[in-house]
Amino acid sequence: MNLAIDVIQALMLIAIAPLVRGVIARIKARIQNRRGASVLRPYADLLKLFRKQDLVPDTASGLFRLAPVILFAVTATAAVFVPVLHASALFGVGGDFILLVYLLAFGRFFLMLGAMDGGSSFGGMGASREALVSALAEAPLLLALTSVAILTHTISLSGIVLATVQQYPLHLSAVYVFALGAMVLVAIAETGRIPVDNPATHLELTMLHEAMVLEYSGPSLALIEWASAVKLTLILALLVGVFAPWGMATGASIVGLVLASGAFALKFAVSAIAIAVIESSIAKLRMYLVPDFLGMASALAILAVAFTALMR
Amino acid sequence: MGLIELAAAKALASSAVFLFITLLMMASAKRISTCIVLFSVQSAIMAAEILAVAYAGKSVESYAVAALVIVVKVVAIPYLLFRIVRNLKASQDVASSTTGAQSVFIMAALILLSFFAVAPYAKTLRLDEDLLAAAIALLLAGAFLMVSRKKALMQVMGLLVLENGILLAALTTTFGMPLVIEIGIFFDLLMGVFLMGLFVFRIRDTFEHLDVSKLRRLRG
Repeated sequence: MNLAIDVIQALMLIAIAPLVRGVIARIKARIQNRRGASVLRPYADLLKLFRKQDLVPDTASGLFRLAPVILFAVTATAAVFVPVLHASALFGVGGDFILLVYLLAFGRFFLMLGAMDGGSSFGGMGASREALVSALAEAPLLLALTSVAILTHTISLSGIVLATVQQYPLHLSAVYVFALGAMVLVAIAETGRIPVDNPATHLELTMLHEAMVLEYSGPSLALIEWASAVKLTLILALLVGVFAPWGMATGASIVGLVLASGAFALKFAVSAIAIAVIESSIAKLRMYLVPDFLGMASALAILAVAFTALMR
Repeated sequence: MGLIELAAAKALASSAVFLFITLLMMASAKRISTCIVLFSVQSAIMAAEILAVAYAGKSVESYAVAALVIVVKVVAIPYLLFRIVRNLKASQDVASSTTGAQSVFIMAALILLSFFAVAPYAKTLRLDEDLLAAAIALLLAGAFLMVSRKKALMQVMGLLVLENGILLAALTTTFGMPLVIEIGIFFDLLMGVFLMGLFVFRIRDTFEHLDVSKLRRLRG
């Protein structure tokens, strides 16, 4: 029964990922006084791309076609470790947050290789920028998760979530607050949203993710887009799971799962609205200010780890 | 009644965390108006804290002090500062001499430093360690804002944050000063902001900028 729930919640995370993107785009459009496309538009886009021809540049090697497949596979594997409806994820016993962080890093590494393999100067530029951002984002992400792990005395994600669920909801620890601050900043950088990267642009010299996927087309592009949607959903689920897991089912009862699904949908709606509001009210940072932005995340994460020693 | 007591206890226990958040946000803020709003929020947290102490100690004077904090620090001073910012017609930039990340790092270090500074006293005097540390952190943060920001208005902001720290220190060590003294302090503060506002206008009119790092020569 538990295993079935774990499989279902991982598949659900992958299946609803384009929907989350569509919802955010729709809310953003509404805030900017546009009507916006249907929330199901990302699914239509994916379907269209999967039916198209996959064009590969003459200069590219086999890696160019392989990279999107690896990226999607790794991101889907990472989704398995994130608790969504139920505190314990599939293989949750074996997987810890360090594995999750480096699974994502692994996928990104192959995306960067694929981008450089494409042979266009945009791909190389985007890859080098992505490398800079990911190098700076990794430390605060690991530190923030470490502080929470120290607090809950476990490094497995399901253990962290379980410990937080059983805690008294009003018990506000400074560690959680600072770790949440650091994680939100990192999540913005990791998922390529404003103010670090603009997901809505194709033709700007400031773009990161879009510069990397410029040479891709057809099913390869669909896999990359789907993988990045899954990554956004996964990081949101991670934030919600670690810092606000209330309502998540602790047992395997049907009622608990229905309640958990409701709570999950509510929390995702709130985060989608928050992302849309932030993206509509803030301008994108200059590339040279991104290290400064992630430096703040590092400072917060270090403070969170230091507070685990103080708040005993 | 149990609910109010719980809320009062929670307000006291977690207010230190919220104060730290306002400090870290002030360190990362790039616009003067953001700092003013954050100062107003910070004062509101202080007011909640004083209310909690007043409820716990059943003291009427503390209620009056809380009301004074709300009137003077949450509403009047931010309003005055906003007016000054609007009438100055200068840029909103705080002109920091440290980058945003450096400021947040330094602020985090100051918060940790204040915890280490109060640890011996908090144990012997049996005081709330978090709140006393928050008071020291506010003092240090105010001083840091004054030395690192070049815009003349930010010196006023630093002083106000510093004053919040003194108020909190008094609150945690002695459960608040007598009402007469508090009224005196608030009056001083209000007058101080008035005078410094005038002073800022004079700096702009004489030097045509507000950068305190360039105030090196006397001008008539």
